[in-house]
Parts: sequence; C-alpha cells; structure tokens
Amino acid sequence: MNLLRKLWNNLHLFMALPAILLFGLFFIYPLAQGIGISLTDSNGMSAPRFVGLQNFIDFFHDARAKKDVYNTLFFAVGSAPLLNIFGFLYALILDRPFKGKGFVRAVVYLPAVISPLIMGYVWYFILQPDRGFLYHLLESLHLGTGGSDWLGNAHSALIVLVFINVWQFVGMTMIIYLAGLQSIPKELYEAGEIDGAGYIKSLWYITIPMVVQSIKINVVTNIIGSLSVFEVIMALTDGGPGYSTESLSIYILRMLYGSFTGYSTAVAMVLFAMIIIPVFIFMRYINKKEFEM
Amino acid sequence: MRRKKLGLLLSGVMMLGLLAGCGGKSADSPNPSSSAGTAQETGPKETVKLKFFTGKVETVDLMNNLIQKFNLENPGIEVEQEYQKDASNVIKVKFASGDIPDITTVVEQDYIDQGKYLDLSSEPFWPRVLPAIKELSTDVKSGKQYQVATNVTMAGIFYNKKIFQELGLKEALTWNDFKANLQTVKDKKPDVTPIFIAGRESWTLGHLIEFLAHGIIKQDLGVKSSREAFINNESDKLKFDQENGPIDTFAKRLLELQDAGLINKDALTATYDNQKEAFATGKAAMISQGMWVVADLLKISPDFQNDIGFSPYPSIQDGTKPVVLSADDSRYAITAESKHPEEAKKFLEFLLQPENLKTYSEFLKSPPAFTDVTADWGPLKDQANQALSSGVNIAFTDSPSGFSGDDAGRMVQELLAGQYSTSVDFAKAYKDAWDKAWKATHR
Repeated sequence: MNLLRKLWNNLHLFMALPAILLFGLFFIYPLAQGIGISLTDSNGMSAPRFVGLQNFIDFFHDARAKKDVYNTLFFAVGSAPLLNIFGFLYALILDRPFKGKGFVRAVVYLPAVISPLIMGYVWYFILQPDRGFLYHLLESLHLGTGGSDWLGNAHSALIVLVFINVWQFVGMTMIIYLAGLQSIPKELYEAGEIDGAGYIKSLWYITIPMVVQSIKINVVTNIIGSLSVFEVIMALTDGGPGYSTESLSIYILRMLYGSFTGYSTAVAMVLFAMIIIPVFIFMRYINKKEFEM
Repeated sequence: MRRKKLGLLLSGVMMLGLLAGCGGKSADSPNPSSSAGTAQETGPKETVKLKFFTGKVETVDLMNNLIQKFNLENPGIEVEQEYQKDASNVIKVKFASGDIPDITTVVEQDYIDQGKYLDLSSEPFWPRVLPAIKELSTDVKSGKQYQVATNVTMAGIFYNKKIFQELGLKEALTWNDFKANLQTVKDKKPDVTPIFIAGRESWTLGHLIEFLAHGIIKQDLGVKSSREAFINNESDKLKFDQENGPIDTFAKRLLELQDAGLINKDALTATYDNQKEAFATGKAAMISQGMWVVADLLKISPDFQNDIGFSPYPSIQDGTKPVVLSADDSRYAITAESKHPEEAKKFLEFLLQPENLKTYSEFLKSPPAFTDVTADWGPLKDQANQALSSGVNIAFTDSPSGFSGDDAGRMVQELLAGQYSTSVDFAKAYKDAWDKAWKATHR
C-alpha cells in the first residue's frame, strides 16, 4: 500500500521518462558521438586517429573559418534585431481593427510558407544583372542602376541575404507577437487611460512587459535560425563569390563532403557553442527582467 | 534532500545504461539488413534492386530510357537511377553511411585507393575499347581497371563561326592572337560578349584551371607521368606555387581578360544556362566548354549547328603549346561493397552493347570510346579531328577528393572578385588547399 502511494506520488518522474529517453537518444547520444569524432582526424574513410584538441586549434588559425564566422555573425546581427523590430511593428499595426486585416496579415505571412531554397532562386532571377526582373524594371523606369551585380560583390551580397531573410520571416515573427498582443486584457489599457497614460507610455509600461513571452520565443528562434543559416545562401549565392558569403553551416557541410570529417565535426561543435551561449545569456537576462517586472 | 539527489543520480546512471544499450543496438543494426540482402540473392526469383548513382545531369532522361529497356529485358532485376547535383561529394556520405549504390558514374582516385570499386580488369569488353581510353581508365598505382568509359569527350574553345567570318578572325593558338581576337570582337561588336564565363557554377571555373593551368603540367610531363604527379602530389613536378608557374600564369591571364573587359560583366553570377543561351543566340562570341554542351546548344537554337566552331585552348605561357582535352567520358564503376555484383555487371554489359553505345553517343554528341560503334555523333566531327591535331591532347585531372573542381572553382571566383592581391598569392593559396586535401586522405 505504502509502495503504491509512493509510486503514485512519483508518477510525474516516470511520465517524463519517454521524453528523457528520446532526448538522450536523439540529442545527447549524437552530441557525445560528435564530440568524440571532433577529437579525431577522421576523413570518413580510413580509421580515425585521436588528435586531442588539434581540430579546435586549427579552427582558430583557419582564415576561411574566420571569414565564415564573420559572415554568420554579420547575417545574425543583421537579421535577428530587424526581424524582431519589424515583426513587432507589423504586429502593432495589424492588431488594430481595419478592413481587410486578415488579407494583409496573410500577405505579410505568406513568404514564410515558401521554402527558403525556392525563395532564394526566385530572388536570384530577380537580381541577376542584365537579365533579371529588377534590371528590366529599373530600365523601363529609366533608372539605369539595375546593371550592377548585387550578388557578385561580396559586401552587397551579404546585405541582400539579410534583406531577403528579414523579408521572408518577418511574418513568422509578427504572428507570434500578434498572439502575445491579443492575450493582453483590455482592462489594463483602460486602467492606463484612466491614469493618464498616452500611447507611448502604455506601450512601454503595458504592452512590452505583457508580450515578454513572445519576445523570448522570437529572439531565441531568430538567434538560432540566423546563426545556422543555410538554404537561402545556398540558393542565392552558393556561398560565393568565392567564400565571401559562406556561412559556418555551409562550411561544415563542405568540410564533411571533403575529406575532413573530424574537422567538420569540430566546427559543428563551435557553431553549437556559438548558438547556445547567446541563447543562454539572453534567457538568463530576460528571466531576471521578467522577475523584476 | 540528500535522498532526492541520490534518486536523481540513480536515474541518471540508469539512463546512461539504457543509452549504452541503444548505442550497441544501432551499431549492430546494419547486420539484419545485409543478411536480408543475401537471403534475397539465394531466394528464388526475388527481384534484385540495383542502384545506379549518377552526377551527369545531361543524361538523366536518356538513362531512364535505357534503364526501362534493361528492366523489360531482364525480369528479376530492377535498376533505379539516382541523380545528385553534387554527386562526387554525396557519394562520400553514401560510402560512410552504408547506403552504397551498385553502379555509379562517380569515380575518384581516393576511393580507388580505398578499395571502393570492383576490379573490372578481366571483363570481356576491354579489347573493344580505344587503347588511349583504356590507358586513361587504368589505375596508375595498381595497373588495374576499376572503371570503364563509354565515350571520348573533348573540351576547348567553342566559337561562333559567323562572327569570326564577319570580322575576319582566325582560330588563335597563341595567347596574344587569342586576346587580339577578343579585342576585335569587343571593338567591332560592342553588344557581343567576347568570351562568356559562367562563374556562378564553380565547376566551369574549376575546368578552366584543369584545362589551362594543369594543361601546362600535362603537356610537359605527358599523360602517364602527369597523372602520377597529380595522384602522388609530386610538388616539384607540379610547381603549383611557383612564380610564373602554371597556376600563377593562369591567374594572370584570367585577370588580364577581366581588366580589359573581355569577359561578361556578370562573370561571377552568370549560370551555365546563361552561358549556353548567350552563345547559342549569338550574344557571346566564344565560350570554354566541353562537348557535353553541344546537345543543349542545339536545343536552344537548332539552326546553330553550322555556326559552331571548335578550337584548342591557346597556349597561355610562352614556350608551351595549345591544348585540347580529349579524355574518357561517361565513366562507370561497380562498387566493391555492392550486394549484387553479378547483376551490376549484367547492367554494365547492357550499357556497353554497341547499339546502346550508339544511342548514347548520338545523344551526347560525343564520339564513342568503343571501336565497334559507328555513331553519327554530331556537327563537330571534322573540327574535333582538326583540333586534336593542332593541340596537345590532355586528360582530366585526378584531384584529391577533398579538393574537387568545385572547390578550385570557388577559388577562381575569389580571384575574379579581387580577393587576392597578386596572382602569386592565388597560386600559393591553391597549393595550400590542394596539399591540405591531399594530406587528409594520405596518411
């Protein structure tokens, strides 16, 4: 009897077991194996040898890797804040009652439904110099600037990539903010109004604190998504010209395809750390903030 | 409190134990499937499934037709085609993960060294193969044949005969004449791109290195010892990083063309399709490609047939000769780990039947590698022979598998994007990348 009660009281522990198992099987186990491979000079064919931290040391002396880290950070630092700011603004505007609201929301959200790969190819054909859609458009408007090769220049190519990413996923961010906005009880605003708070004040003291959960989700998914960017780059520039728009995740794949399995796994570990650390810091910060509020 | 911790620890240990169990299981898992495979072989009249893995985009439809024919003629065997754009890389993942195709068009020296392919030396078809092609199909290290080619392909400069006639130009064999030709096109026909480069596709740029830069090495050393030099990475013979060496010279020449505005403005973002389109519609006077391009050109504009000219690459360095690629094409190899080698050989035999080779050759518009096949393979027949006699014949390069033509092409993109301050820097970077990849598989 006593045992049964004990079991009953600890049932929640057993309920979590399948989840823990799956987590272990599909996350912890591959991660552990990955760490193992990252410490070898495996080339995917002959037997790997243990090389300690050599791959990680190599990483810090690898000019191409440095460039890829820069590109990845540029992309993330460019995309994540823009996505959040514009996503939030769109949500604020489209939360107001007006005719055709559903349609406008759908239009903003639509690009997110299409695969970034396809989106990339579409934009590629828009942006091609001399024969792209944009060129013909600008030409017909007698604005003869369409001839420049946006994607053939390393700097402009990165900016174009950020722009397309923001344009594509701003709808996704917006939807999550909209959900947050709609969960705010109207009474709060009424109370604020009585206390004499204007739009800006109620935005700052009511809206933002109340959508903090949405901020959390959006910031975290945007950090993860933009740091592990892959498809849009593959479709639009293939990492080029040269390696100038290559992201770390593309580098990982190419090293894996080449004969550098061990090294590629080590780079994957670095990228993992690059993603998990900012997410961790942000979560600590926002949880503290939330507590204060 | 302490008890709770102990409980957590215990459940943690239990989880680890379970994980270890799972790990063991997953490592064993290939076994049941392989035993199933052998059961299939011995079992009566089970359909054997063969996987044909290819990276040749131009032959996908043709192969599907041939496969259909084979499947009809051979009940009990079913061939399936898998095409991958990045096949030479994807096959590595397939080898690593045990998802191994039975027959493939992807043959790399590293995989030959690893014993990934079946020895085909004693197959009956060898006497029918052109001797030069048989030599190119022979592994330098073991002297055996692990691959067979169905065709001879050639690559060089394709030019628009009409434009050449109009401007009174002649095929150029030296670099100065070549540049003068391009300049004439630029001056007299401002709307026409003198030479169109498809730089978004890194393989076409990789080919430029393979044919022009490596061409110097290949003509200096001859077929056999240049192949050995590439395969064994004999750096004293390759001289990759030498000033005025093959790579440095190549880089200088390419930059010369770019600086003089003789290549298309969008050389870094133009695709292979753009290149074909521009050439077939007369918007580009010259392109560097292989014969695989001809069929597509004729698809774009069927009347173009009589206007296609073909010449060797001009010599890019003083004291060297013009070169033309003339090499084995459409290679097939059977994997050593194939569970159905007999059936795979049967399929290979089918592909090598004279009538199927004829179909293939006529489709590809490139000459057959088999002596008993007479095919009407296309408009370049006479010109190809002339090109072969006016240039040194060179073969494809055996690159380390970690430094494919695509990788080399990306470096050429960097060069064109102005990311190397001098051509020698490019040459040094090229050697570094080559050495690194070579060392990764030779240790």
